[in-house]
Amino acid sequence: MSDAVRLQLEDFSQDEEVCALRASSQRMGGIATFLGCARDFSEGRDVCEIGFDAYRPMALAELQKLRAEAIERFALLDARIVHRLGTVRAGDNIVFIAAGAEHRAPALEACRWMIDELKERVPIWKKEITPTGESWVTPHP
Amino acid sequence: MIKVLFFGPVADRVGLRQIEVPFRDGLCWQDVRDVLQPQYPEAFALVSVTAVNGERVRDEGRMPLADGAEIVFMSRFSGG
Repeated sequence: MSDAVRLQLEDFSQDEEVCALRASSQRMGGIATFLGCARDFSEGRDVCEIGFDAYRPMALAELQKLRAEAIERFALLDARIVHRLGTVRAGDNIVFIAAGAEHRAPALEACRWMIDELKERVPIWKKEITPTGESWVTPHP
Repeated sequence: MIKVLFFGPVADRVGLRQIEVPFRDGLCWQDVRDVLQPQYPEAFALVSVTAVNGERVRDEGRMPLADGAEIVFMSRFSGG
């Protein structure tokens, strides 16, 4: 089975991630997921591709801490986080987060919390590649 | 030597992904910043997060570095 937290160049399967999550416990009554995708526009410009750079060892360690904290904080039965690096095309998957709990409320809250924390804490940078040039994304609040 | 790494927009402005700074006893990450900042002012204008050996530095406390330490000066993150 693949690791619960991964940084990878290749695409991922949401079904496989959810299956792996469900396999960890039969007490799971609610699973919430978040899928982040590459948009084909940004601030009025067409976007062809998005490039990702990362301080990989720290990014992976932060994601692992984030997952452990989410499991503790929301009493999750399990959680998974996969983030792609390299270059993705418009429409491609970027990030997948899944949270499994006994009930829906903590699963939903944990999923939201994990993506918000990921954006604040994990050293990954996104560059939008457009027909007229490239620019690093300035984080939104 | 102290290894200094740059990523994303900071690396673009520095024009490099790695620099080495000579080690000396008592050297702190702030000393490394003070050496590099005047050389790469546009890059350091973006820096808001510093990590030493993979751990985020959360205060300005001066902790001497060990020879071979790794420092990363980073801009705000934009993953996800």
